Amino acid sequence: MSLRRYLPHYLMIAPFIVLFAMFFLYPIISGLYYSFQNWNGVKPPAFVGIANYQKIIASRDFATAMRNLMTYVAITVPLGILVALGLALLVDNFTGRWANIFRNAYFMPVVLPAFLAATIWRWIYAPNFGLLNMILGWFGRPSVNFLNDTSTMLYALVAVDVWVSAGFNMVIILAGLKNIPVELYEAARLDGASKRQQIVHITIPMLGPVLFFVVTYGLISAMQVFDKPWLLTGSSFTSYGGRRNALLFPVMDMMGRAFGSVRFGEAAAYGFILTVAIIALTAAMFMLRRWKWRK
Amino acid sequence: MTGMSLPPIWTILKWALALSIAAVALFPIWWMVNVVFALPGEPVSLNPRLWPTSIPAGIDKIRLILTETDFLRAYGISLLYAVLTIAGVLIIGSLAAFEFALFDFPGRKLLFGIVMLSLMVPTAVTIIPTYLLTSQLGWLNTMQGLVIPGVASAFGLFMLIQFMRAIPMDMIEAARLDGASHFQVYWHVALPLCSNALVTLAILTFMQTWGNYMWPLIVSSRPEMYTVGQVVGLFNSPLSHQTVDTVMTANLLAAIPPLLFFLIFQRKIVEGIAMSGTKG
Repeated sequence: MSLRRYLPHYLMIAPFIVLFAMFFLYPIISGLYYSFQNWNGVKPPAFVGIANYQKIIASRDFATAMRNLMTYVAITVPLGILVALGLALLVDNFTGRWANIFRNAYFMPVVLPAFLAATIWRWIYAPNFGLLNMILGWFGRPSVNFLNDTSTMLYALVAVDVWVSAGFNMVIILAGLKNIPVELYEAARLDGASKRQQIVHITIPMLGPVLFFVVTYGLISAMQVFDKPWLLTGSSFTSYGGRRNALLFPVMDMMGRAFGSVRFGEAAAYGFILTVAIIALTAAMFMLRRWKWRK
Repeated sequence: MTGMSLPPIWTILKWALALSIAAVALFPIWWMVNVVFALPGEPVSLNPRLWPTSIPAGIDKIRLILTETDFLRAYGISLLYAVLTIAGVLIIGSLAAFEFALFDFPGRKLLFGIVMLSLMVPTAVTIIPTYLLTSQLGWLNTMQGLVIPGVASAFGLFMLIQFMRAIPMDMIEAARLDGASHFQVYWHVALPLCSNALVTLAILTFMQTWGNYMWPLIVSSRPEMYTVGQVVGLFNSPLSHQTVDTVMTANLLAAIPPLLFFLIFQRKIVEGIAMSGTKG
């Protein structure tokens, strides 16, 4: 019998498959079901059709969160990757021990949990006695309340974000740099190409697939940003987003609806709206890449 | 030196740039250390915390936070959460990776496809329903509630499959001929051969679990089940009356395990992350 023959295989994958089905596949399906229900976790759920979706899209917080998200993603992803690319090229210019030392130094912030990065920077940004304001003070500048001034809050978050993620992306780009055949550079040098020309015509094109991964992955994680703005603004489920919601992002809004206002159906629907946005953006990235290849 | 054709001015600039970026990357961490190892209440204008000024004061602060607050318990919970998650991810991940990488059975392609597809599904969509399921199981504020939902890691499976694929079929056949059972082949042949990958995955899982803020925040909402991340977050909240000294001491203690891991396993960590990016 074939079942007997294959039984050992199925037994070995069973623990993974069972837990995966239970804590990954089932939640997706139940989440879709909840998203059409009005449910506070206590009373039995009541079917409300697409009312949750309509309510979210019409809400002011959703508009604010999406607007913040678009500005944030548009700044932090390109900036983070440019910095990472610069760091990788810089580290690649060193050899031996120093290459390792600089790589490790730039990577160190990645090792810290995101919640720590946020809490350390909260004190660096603190008004009056914070490190940054102390430096401003040396130049005779007045103290800025970076995390409570709507004109600086988003940039304060971007700075923390780049500080944390640049090292991560740098390591991936460095691995990509190592995979570029040395012969290409030698040939270019023989043809009299300058260092700058080599970067533009060999390094960047050969890094294509790696940069594509880094950008796509960066976009997907930036769209789900949570820990850093949550902690930088000292948020809780009853009050989040910082002053005038300047650091309100979709996942924060979703978590607030679930655990602050206890509207689980609405929060589930929020997750699906966000997922559709993420998938659409990812698909657009893949289409862009294909279109570029054909050109 | 690769920068051989560069004039000396460029070499100087290169070093200046590299060193100043290193300062920006490391200073916030260094600053945290200095705040802890300074006399409490010293005004910043007198001591800008550019270097540690009082080692005994720092040790006092650490002793205070470990004895007067619940930080030590949170530390234990975070460690247990990380260790159990690592064990789960490694055991069930390697069992499944062994099958997916080396054998064929009906349904293999379909199951593998579904798991790989899941890598593209954002956490945002699963977190609320997974919380609801955990709550229905009665697992809120329990260790199993923290650990089990995160154990079936598609990323871990993917990484282990990449390594297991390199195991030569001959070795498996040879073990079979020697009379080894299917499980013995996994245990005595496959596992030792991918021990490198297991260590890398264990380290990455540790970093991820220790740094996980969102899941504990909703699943273990009772103070007696707080993780380090939550305590650090609470110390920082606008309602807390903790001073910068206490907060930074908590931060420093929370930073020690991952920093220590990094100093010991830096090559493995960097390689693991580079691999996930260039092969994925």
